[in-house]
Amino acid sequence: MNDAVGSSPVGPACRRVPIALGSSPVGGRTVRRPRLLAGALLGLTLGSPALAAAQDARQIVQEVQKRGDVRSQRYEGLLQVFNARGTVSDKRWMLERLGSYGASRVVLRFTQPAEVRGVALLVVNHPDRASDQWMWTPSIERDRRIALQDRSQRFFGTDFSFEDLEERDVQQFDYVLQGEEAVDGESCWRIQSVPTRTKSSQYTRSIVWVRKSTYTFARIDNYIGDQVVRRLTYGDMADVQGIWTARRLEMTDLRSGSRTRLTLDRLQYNVPMTADDFTLQALRRQ
Amino acid sequence: MNLLRLISWPYVRKHVLRTVLTTAGIVLGVAVFVGMHTANQSVLFAFNSTVDRIAGKTELQVSAGETGFDEAVLETVQGAATVRVAVPVIEAVVDSQREGQGNLLVLGTDMTGDRSLRDYDLEDADEAIIDDPLVFLAQADSIMLTKAFADRNGLSVNSVMTLGTALGPRAFTVRGIMKSKGLASAFGGNLAIMDIYAAQRMFGRGRTFDRIDLATRPGVTIEEAGAELRTLLGPGFQVDVPAGRGQQFQAMTASYGIMVSISSLFALFIGMFIIYNAFAIAVTQRRSEIGILRALGATGSQVRRLFLLESAATGLVGSLGGLALGLLMARGIAASIGTIMQDVYGVAQRADEIATSPALLGLALAVGVGTSVVAALIPAGQAARVDPVQALQKGRYQVLSAGENRARLMAAAALGIVSVLCVAVPTSRPVFYAGYLLAIVVALLLGPILALVLSRAIRPLLKWLRPVEGALAADSLIQAPRRTSASVAALMLSLALVTAFAGMARASYNSILDWVNGTLNPDLFVSPSQDVVTRTLRFPAAMGDELAALPGIERVQRVRNARILFRGTPVMIVATDIASLAETAPREPVEGHPTEMYRLTAAGQGLMISDNLARLAGLHAGDAIEIPAPAGIISLPIAGIIVDYSDQQGSIIMDQAVYQRYWRDDTVNVFRIYLRDDATADAVSRSILSTYAGERQVFVLTNGELRDYILRVTDQWFGLTSIQIAVAVFVAILGIVNTLTVSITDRRRELGVLKAVGGLRGQIRRTIWLEAISIGTLGLVLGFALGALNLYYILQIIERDIAGMRLDYVFPFGTALALVPVILIAAFVAALWPAESAVRGSLVEALEYE
Amino acid sequence: MIDLDRVTRQFEGKRNVTALREVSLTIAKGDLVSIVGPSGSGKSTLLNLMGGLDRPTTGSVAIDGESLANLGDDGLTRVRRDKIGFIFQFFNLLPTLSCLENVGLPLHLRGWARRKVHERAIELLQLVQLGHRVHHLPEELSGGERQRVAIARALSIYPPILLADEPTGNLDTRTGGDILALIDDLHRRLGATVVIVTHDLQVAERCQRTITLRDGGIEQDVRR
Repeated sequence: MNDAVGSSPVGPACRRVPIALGSSPVGGRTVRRPRLLAGALLGLTLGSPALAAAQDARQIVQEVQKRGDVRSQRYEGLLQVFNARGTVSDKRWMLERLGSYGASRVVLRFTQPAEVRGVALLVVNHPDRASDQWMWTPSIERDRRIALQDRSQRFFGTDFSFEDLEERDVQQFDYVLQGEEAVDGESCWRIQSVPTRTKSSQYTRSIVWVRKSTYTFARIDNYIGDQVVRRLTYGDMADVQGIWTARRLEMTDLRSGSRTRLTLDRLQYNVPMTADDFTLQALRRQ
Repeated sequence: MNLLRLISWPYVRKHVLRTVLTTAGIVLGVAVFVGMHTANQSVLFAFNSTVDRIAGKTELQVSAGETGFDEAVLETVQGAATVRVAVPVIEAVVDSQREGQGNLLVLGTDMTGDRSLRDYDLEDADEAIIDDPLVFLAQADSIMLTKAFADRNGLSVNSVMTLGTALGPRAFTVRGIMKSKGLASAFGGNLAIMDIYAAQRMFGRGRTFDRIDLATRPGVTIEEAGAELRTLLGPGFQVDVPAGRGQQFQAMTASYGIMVSISSLFALFIGMFIIYNAFAIAVTQRRSEIGILRALGATGSQVRRLFLLESAATGLVGSLGGLALGLLMARGIAASIGTIMQDVYGVAQRADEIATSPALLGLALAVGVGTSVVAALIPAGQAARVDPVQALQKGRYQVLSAGENRARLMAAAALGIVSVLCVAVPTSRPVFYAGYLLAIVVALLLGPILALVLSRAIRPLLKWLRPVEGALAADSLIQAPRRTSASVAALMLSLALVTAFAGMARASYNSILDWVNGTLNPDLFVSPSQDVVTRTLRFPAAMGDELAALPGIERVQRVRNARILFRGTPVMIVATDIASLAETAPREPVEGHPTEMYRLTAAGQGLMISDNLARLAGLHAGDAIEIPAPAGIISLPIAGIIVDYSDQQGSIIMDQAVYQRYWRDDTVNVFRIYLRDDATADAVSRSILSTYAGERQVFVLTNGELRDYILRVTDQWFGLTSIQIAVAVFVAILGIVNTLTVSITDRRRELGVLKAVGGLRGQIRRTIWLEAISIGTLGLVLGFALGALNLYYILQIIERDIAGMRLDYVFPFGTALALVPVILIAAFVAALWPAESAVRGSLVEALEYE
Repeated sequence: MIDLDRVTRQFEGKRNVTALREVSLTIAKGDLVSIVGPSGSGKSTLLNLMGGLDRPTTGSVAIDGESLANLGDDGLTRVRRDKIGFIFQFFNLLPTLSCLENVGLPLHLRGWARRKVHERAIELLQLVQLGHRVHHLPEELSGGERQRVAIARALSIYPPILLADEPTGNLDTRTGGDILALIDDLHRRLGATVVIVTHDLQVAERCQRTITLRDGGIEQDVRR
């Protein structure tokens, strides 16, 4: 996460980011390593009111990011994985994020199911390098550093990859506005984003749809070659404290046919929080 | 070819039994060769393939011998510019606690990063939960099994199984099942994956890892990454490709390999003699046939070719049979090698599959056929030289000519001198082994002559014993020296092998016993695993104080031992409280001052090394050595050299403080416990067990139990060679049967006369038996003589190349004595069937036979 | 002494051969009998049956009133050992044994004490005029001498029956005559029953009785 957390999703830059969940967009930052849990888990938000029409694709994406910018954020997430056979598994967590963009910290505590209750993640984002992440496991009373080195891996059994959760600098992608298209009846810009450095992403390119009305993401299709492999949709839009936010994100893995839905409950922005709660010691306390 | 069909085939058909026996010689020789090497290869292959499968996409591994290293090293490795992924690993071998399932190799990994190196290939895909690293990580009792193991044990996802851990038996929940391929087929499927941090706790590893597996960044070569890591980590770490572990494994078990090679060689040699014997006999018996061929215009080289072709065909058939038999044997042998590897070297291994290498099989085939052809060279040459006129006359031609004897003696003398020179001039290894080989050749050259001399010598004795049967038996030996000497030589070789191995075993046994008595004198040993060699489980240091506080315990010594790489070879580090050790089990040094040595070592100003290491590495007291450790290089002088058999490759003994400083590891493998005078081992042992019941896995061994264990393991090591010895003796016995069947044919008329003039069946049998027993006796005498020499060489090999142990040369009279009845009885048994067939035949035909 | 009752001997093989067909014959104690006939007439087979070296296919053989039919291998051997001495055309001396040892062979086989064996063997060798060659090996002797050693061996226990299969067949005429004279002399001196198979009519004529065989049957039985 990078920063992410809260902010808007989608990253700005890119796609991946989108994950909406949180991540913010922030632009600008160059993220070299994956930032783990990116935004997704973390924050999520979406766009803000905005400007009028955007002209240029990069500007549109930057605007999306900008509108999602917040100081802090808290929500209860419900993560549901539907595999190809229709089995469903649910996990719940409580997420708190403090700080904006590059300097944000996120604590995520699982509350359900019982097997994972108490497992907590701490993500510390740095403006100038990859985030640090730790995981606390109550059953062995140990924290461990998560050194994620392969971002195409699935995020703890969900259909998100770690890369999907992280956010990236807008500058790392080239954007092309491909026109306008309706998604779920809403008018959107269709923008293609291609990583400027190949190999920096598992995806060859992505197509992003941005709602013209709210400057929020509507859908992102990620491609490997000519094939869409993962599709993320943003739904259940609501104006939360003045920020247009998707409260339901759904990532579909088109190769395996499974999908993961993240539902955000009790979302609040700009809640008072102290930095002391976002440390390794705090993580262990719980 | 036509000749082969016309001439050889009828002979073969007429002498089916003899042909079978001859072929059996090759079959067994090749079978031993193939069986032993295949088994050996299979074990190595299994080890490598386990390493390989576990390694997954791992390109490099970082380790520090077996000692493990602080988990902080991981960050250093992950921070290296050339490293793409680096994942920590702990490997532990635990008792599966299931009947007949043996051990389970537990791999502790960090699932958050590991999947890019290893494909767990999960079965059953309720992936959301099962394949959920989060649940897996969240629960310390999570374990992932292979489908093969799960099926064998009726386990499925969410089943609970118990494993022996450092904390005592613990229930684990199966949270994933891997399909039985790739990783899951490693270690015969007896593989389990758990979270590395849970593994640290379960196996008492503190905050250490055994190893870090890593893959390099794209565009970076393995060499570059290796170089960077070596620089970053320092010499205390090994950075190697996964296959490097196979080499270490091989190095560790090299001694075993040498033994296998020596005895395979003997087996083949013995097989060669049987063939030589058979062909020498065949040439003799078929003289008149050869004479007719020659008279009809066959050239000498045609005749030679005929015999060589025959032997090649025999060799081929025998070798093919040997391959089949060898592969059958290999499975059983591999299992026992696996056990030995585990018990002797502490390396758990399962060889469930037989690794047949085409190269080995091809070699075996070539060796079998080659041996057969070489063995037939001399007989074929003789056949080629048969004079047609002489051949068509009747008579005996087996007598060794004086000229041949002289030639043999001269050759033997010449080679003997060279062989002595090879030993006397201490030089390179090839020269030494050449000397060894020459010594054997000399023995073989002299064999027939000595056999003849001895046969003559025992004739009076036999005659005195049984005037008719004895004299005739002796005469039979004397009259057909070729027939006799080849099987005597075969027997001689096997006995030389047995004698030398027995001598070696005894000498080692004595030395080990002496060491055990001197060093392993505590009353109790407390270990986290049932056998002391398994080092996968360890105790925390604090347990030492807890134990010391128990009533009845006077003194507790902590021992940490682990193999590290020292100058490229795996050697054992033994770290303990040296000052305390000096009081309880002082050893007389081989080099160094008896008290100063302990004082310096205890003070961390010196080290002690085992004398085998000293010899293998050419070290002496006072030499400064450098031992690379994770926290730097230990540079200390050798304060003393003592006899220590902690490990075949040698051991380095240091104070525990030094070890802790350089390895940052205070865990304990074994506690040595001395009791107060008023305490009984039984009571203290019970109190230790009850103290830790349910909390930690603790085994308390009494002094006697540990001793038995060590001696048993020693036995086991030598035990394996007994298979080969058994085969060697068996082959030699086959040789006797072969010789006797020929002998009764040759003596058919003589036996007929004997019967005609009043010899009862019992008397006829007796003369055959006596002949067999005489062959046995000659074999024993010559075998012991050669064995005495062989023992010398074997001890030299052990000292020079295997274990560095200087063992006293003591001829194993006990074994020799025991062998006398064994061989005589075996010879007698070998004679039973030939004797019966001698008794049975038609008397009238026998009298007319010529 | 020797009774054959309708003795038939067939040899089985690729071609069944009947060597003797329904031969009945009695040889009285102390007789000196010769058996003659062309090659393949069954002479040797008849002799082998008389000596217990072979068993008839049908019919019975009795020696000294004892039927051989019910005897096992060792039983037959005992009959040979105690009652019969053999002289073979090719001598059948054991090449590795000295004359003394060869002659002593049957005695040793009977378990005689060494000293007794030695004495008897010397005595016998002297009897056949070989007292000077006691320690020689057979190959060092001439054909006649070898046959004399063989005779000495056959006589070692002074058997009541002496069977000779072409004893002179391998010897020149003069030596053959000597051997025959020796056998004749021994027959007379020892009173043994002697059966000689020969194709030499001169030899046959010196016998009290001559049986002529042809095609496995008795063609003629002449007593002189």
